[in-house]
This record gives sequence, C-alpha cells and structure tokens, in this order.
Amino acid sequence: MSILISSETNVLIQGMTGKEGQKAAKAMLDYGINVVCGVTPKKGGQEVEGKPVFDTVREALAVIASDEGAKQSPRQEENGEIAASPSAPRNDNWVAVVYVPPFAAKAAILEAIENNIPLINIFVERIPIKDTAYCLAAAKERGVRIVGPSSLGLIVPDVGRIGVVGGPLVREIFQPGSIGVISRSGGMTNELSWIIRQAGLGQSAAVHVGGDLLMGTTYADVLRLFEKDEQTKAVIIFGEHGGSYEFEIVELIKNKEFTKPLAIYIGGKFAQMLPEGMNIGHAGAIVARGQGATEKEAALKAVGAMIADTYEELVKLVKPFV
Amino acid sequence: MNLYEFEGKKLFEKHGIVTPKGVVVRRGDDARMKIEELRIKNFVVKAQVLSGKRGKNNGIRFCSSVEDGVAAINDLFKLNISGQYVAAVLIEEELSIAEEHYLSITYDTNKKQPVVIYSRQGGMDIEDVPEEKIEKTWVDVRSETTPYSPPSQGGDTSSGRNDSLTPPYEGGGRGWSSVVQSLWSCFLTEDTRLVEINPLVKTADGQWVAADAKVAIDDDAFFRHEEWNQLEPRTMMGRLPTEREVAVKKIDEGEAYYRGTAGKYIELDGDIAMILNGGGASIANMDALIKAGLKPANYTEYSGNPPREKVYQLAKIVLSKPALRGLWMAGVVANFTNIKETFLGIIDALDEIKPTYPIVVRRDGPESQEAFALMRECATRNNFNIKLFTKETSMSETAKVLAEMVNAVTTKTV
Repeated sequence: MSILISSETNVLIQGMTGKEGQKAAKAMLDYGINVVCGVTPKKGGQEVEGKPVFDTVREALAVIASDEGAKQSPRQEENGEIAASPSAPRNDNWVAVVYVPPFAAKAAILEAIENNIPLINIFVERIPIKDTAYCLAAAKERGVRIVGPSSLGLIVPDVGRIGVVGGPLVREIFQPGSIGVISRSGGMTNELSWIIRQAGLGQSAAVHVGGDLLMGTTYADVLRLFEKDEQTKAVIIFGEHGGSYEFEIVELIKNKEFTKPLAIYIGGKFAQMLPEGMNIGHAGAIVARGQGATEKEAALKAVGAMIADTYEELVKLVKPFV
Repeated sequence: MNLYEFEGKKLFEKHGIVTPKGVVVRRGDDARMKIEELRIKNFVVKAQVLSGKRGKNNGIRFCSSVEDGVAAINDLFKLNISGQYVAAVLIEEELSIAEEHYLSITYDTNKKQPVVIYSRQGGMDIEDVPEEKIEKTWVDVRSETTPYSPPSQGGDTSSGRNDSLTPPYEGGGRGWSSVVQSLWSCFLTEDTRLVEINPLVKTADGQWVAADAKVAIDDDAFFRHEEWNQLEPRTMMGRLPTEREVAVKKIDEGEAYYRGTAGKYIELDGDIAMILNGGGASIANMDALIKAGLKPANYTEYSGNPPREKVYQLAKIVLSKPALRGLWMAGVVANFTNIKETFLGIIDALDEIKPTYPIVVRRDGPESQEAFALMRECATRNNFNIKLFTKETSMSETAKVLAEMVNAVTTKTV
C-alpha cells in the first residue's frame, strides 16, 4: 500500500524543457517512475530524456491515449475511433508536475486542472498568492489535489517519486519502512528521512508540502492519508514557528482522525525575539504573537503528540512504535 | 511587505475609498510649514510605522495649534512604537466621528480563500473584539464582487439580516457596501495579502472615511507592479535597513529572480556569520546555534539552486560585517541545489575576504564530493581554521563544534 502514487502512476512534466524540469525528468526516471511526456508551449516536437514534449496538456493526453489505444486494440485504431474521441479522458493515474517560471504558473496549473489530472505537484516558488488562491479554488471545484506550491514533491520508497525529493542520493537516504515524513521544508524532508535511515529504519512515504502561505495539501491532509495507510506505523513532522497549519493537527488528533504515534519538532523559537508581522524562513512563516513555536508545542503536547527538543530526536521518539 | 499608512491610503484613494485630508512629514522636513500647508485647525499627527499597536503606544496625538503639532511631531520622531522605527509622520484633519467600524480582507490559510472581516466595533484591535461581534465572509478569489457589494454589482444584501452584525447597507453609490467593493478591488488588483481599515469611520455628516490603512503587499507579485520599485527600503527591525540588508535584497531582483533565492539577510546583534540553507532548516539552525551558546550576526539562507554569482554576492556581504568571530555554513542534504556550484560562489568570497576566525561547514547533496574538495583547497591556500562535515554529522552537532572552536580562540587571546 502507498499514499498518493502507485506503480501505475504516469507523470506529465509542465516545463520539462527548462533547466529544473529536465533535472526533474531525469530524477523521476532514475527512480523508476513512468515519466510519459512533457508540455512546454511552442516547444512541441522536442524530446527530453527520450520523452516527447507537446505544446499543450490536451494534446499530450490525446496523443498518449491514442498511442495506448493503438497498442491495446489496433483494430479500433484502424477505424479511427480512438484517435477521434479523446474528449473525456479518465486520467486517474496521472500526475502533473509543474516546473515553469512563477509568472507562467497560474496558466500551467489551470491547464492541468481543466484536463482532469487528479494530482498536481507544484515545484514553482514565488507564485503570487492571488494566483495560488485562484488555482486552489479551481482545483477544489474539480476534486483535484494540489501538493505545493514550492514543493519538491514526494517519495514512496521503491514505488516511485514525484519531483526531486532525495536528489541524486535518493537510494542512500530512502528505503521502504513504516515511518511517514511531512515537512514544509524540502531540505528537512530529506534530512529527517536521512536520520530515519541512519537509525536503520525506513520511510513509508515522505511528503514535502511546501513553504508558501497557502498550500494545496497541508500536514493534516497528509496525516489523514497516513492514518489509512497500513504501512505507516508512526509519523514525524518538522513544523515551524510561522503559519497556523500545526493547529490543524491539534484538531485532527482531538477529533480522532489521526490516531497513530506522532512526533513533531517546531523550529524557529528564536523568531519570538523578532517583531510581530516579520517574515523569516519560508514565505508563509510570519511571526505572530500567541501562535509561535512555543504555543504550537504546548497545544500539540496537550493532545498527546510527542515533542522533540531537536529535530535529530524525532526518530528516537517514534522508534518504539515501528 | 507592509506599507506605511500613508502609502496604503494612496492605494485606497486609487480605488475610490475616501481618506482624510493629510500631508506627510519626513525627518528633517519643516514641520511647521507642513502643518500650515494643511490649513486645518484641529488635526491629528500619526507616527508611520510598519506594525504594532500605535494608538496604545502613544503614536497618535490630537492637536489644536501649530505649536502643539510641531512639538508632537518632534516627539514622535524620537520614539520607537512597539519596537518599530518611525519613518515619517502623517498629519491629518480630525474627523468628526459618528461611528467607528472595522473592515479587512486577508487570506484565510485554513479555507485557502480570502475572508472579509467586519465588525461594528471598530477602533480597537480586532483581537480584543468579542468573537460574536465579528462577521467573517469567505469570498472566492475568482469573483469580482463580494456578497456585500451593491446588488447592481452582483452583491447580495437582500437577505434581511438584522442583528448587530448586519453591515449598514445603504444602497446608492457612496454607501458602506461600495466601500467593501472598492476594498475588494484594491485587495485583488494591487496584489495584497492584507487590506485593513480600522477604524472605518462614519462621519457626522454620513460619509464613510478610511481613518487608517494597514496594507501588506505580496512581494512575489512584483513582476506585475513596476510602481513598487518606488517604495522606500524598509525593515521591521526597529531601525532603518542597513546597507548590507539593502544590498542583499538586490541580489534576487532582475529577470532571473526566480532562479534560486539568495536575497535574504537580516542583520542581528551577534558575531557569528550565518550562511544557512532552506527556509526550514535555517530557522532550526538559528535555534541550534543559540542553544550552543553563540550569537548570530545575521539571518541568511539561500535555497532553490541559485547560480554561483548570486551566492558569491550574498557571501561577500555576509562576511563584510565587522567584528565577526566565526562563520557557520550549515545546510541539509540537498535535494537539487548543486553543492559544487553554490560552494564555488562562497569560495570566491572566501578567497577575497580570507577570514581568520573559525569556520564550520556542514552540507551534502548533488556534487558534494567535488564541492568539498574545492573547499579544502581553498582552506589550504588561505590557511583557514576550518572544519568540514557531510551528512554523517548532524547539523546541530556542528554548531557545538563551532562553539568549541570560537571559545578556544577567545581563551588563547585572553
């Protein structure tokens, strides 16, 4: 069992011809996930890592669907039915990953949403918040899940990775196991996973939810998935002083929607020395009196979460449960 | 970025919200001349700060003579209002107030959409208003109007709600609902994260006036707001921004602004130069350094695979602070930031500055072997007092190592 992706997952990379898009294509293919194609407006016809690039998502899905149809039932292709009817494709196993510049992000994300791609991972940093809110509203309407923005992706060890989590050291850091990892920090997603591995353990999945003020998938959303996932026995989270997403976890535990062992570290205690309203760390990390690192720790502790003094301690806290 | 009240009011006016007649006084301006320019007998002088409870902290003074005004202005320039630097003073006509309301729009991170917050109890901090006296209305960001907008503009004020929360719908062109509509259009078209009017004043002659303005713009939308280039540099650290802070901010400007972030630098009181990585690890490492007994000279992090040149500029500025006693470069096992490329930028700066204080580096990730080999060569040719660590040693552990090295140097000197 795995969360969010499976061995059937097909990936489409928006912005695959760019520097980071090319790296992402390679990273995913190296880890054995099926990158099918890319989309970059006006660059249709090119190839990246041997995979075709199309001008639009619609075109990409239509061509891939008709190719698939051709493979599976050549007779149908002869009478032209498949090629002519890509109008309502079911794109259940598709994931779109977005690697375009921030000013082009809204159009790219909306294109993926309009084409019924059920999971979109947004790598792009510095998307204006209005554009993010617009995309999140459109996604909600269509039942599309967004992970990000500013998300390096997610990994289910030995099943696949979306994006570049783990980088080139991915096999040194990740191995299948029973600890779930969530962070708003890409670096800490990797670092926590490495600490798990150093302890001789493995990860059920690691999800980088992204550091923006608005995010498509929150800690609480991922915890709901880990709750249902049999492979996951415990979860560790790298939390932060800014934003209020840690308080959603408190509610989740109170409502018994998450019942597995959870260890959490909240970074940024020093931020309490800074003036209220100041932004430090991630884009979404704004110093707010009364809901900083210390208050978050207290609220989480009160509902039974284990609080780590340093992030290195997180794994020690969950080790007895896995 | 937070705007000063006078800047926020300019945006309000642009969208048709009435603001009091006023004039801005800068440090060094002739305050008397400015007051006389306004030609009003009863006026208010207000400290211009980026945040904080101004009213409660004596940052607003009512005056009824030019002499009063000059004295108040001079006094305000001497103050820090809840830790905030007073950048200017706004002189405004005193309103004849009948009612004070509260109105704001911001993003609700839980619902992931904008929320209009309204209360009839304006003039005080919204946190102090009882929950049952506040009305919150969530609005789809894709909508051009809010449910409060005049019916002619798609609003819905016909529901006949009649409790203490009900906004005073007055129809027509200049009523309460048109203020909401103007604020909504300001919120969207100006790419803000927050617009707040507190108090929204109903004057004795029935006009709605924004007596205050709190606006935060979304820095990430700067590419579609050339006018933001005109805004003066600012910091919330209770002082003017330092030269180094202003210089670092420029690193991420220009066409390739989104190719990695290296424009973060906040100057602090300590003496350990910090070059950290990532928005998450960097805040945890600030905590770790303080726990190890050292004091950070700055907060700085780069992330997102910035090019060598950006990292070079950043490192050079970080290391230019006088009286440093150590350098900590601590970063995670990177996912996609190229360690060699970014280290080359730092090496360029180290070769120039040649620090004599202890240096500790902890990093790993793409091309880190090559990166560490280059760093070792740099250390050898410059005879650095340096220790290098990869992922086998935790970040917090290396903060302790730096503390030992810094203390050893201090002991020797003594």
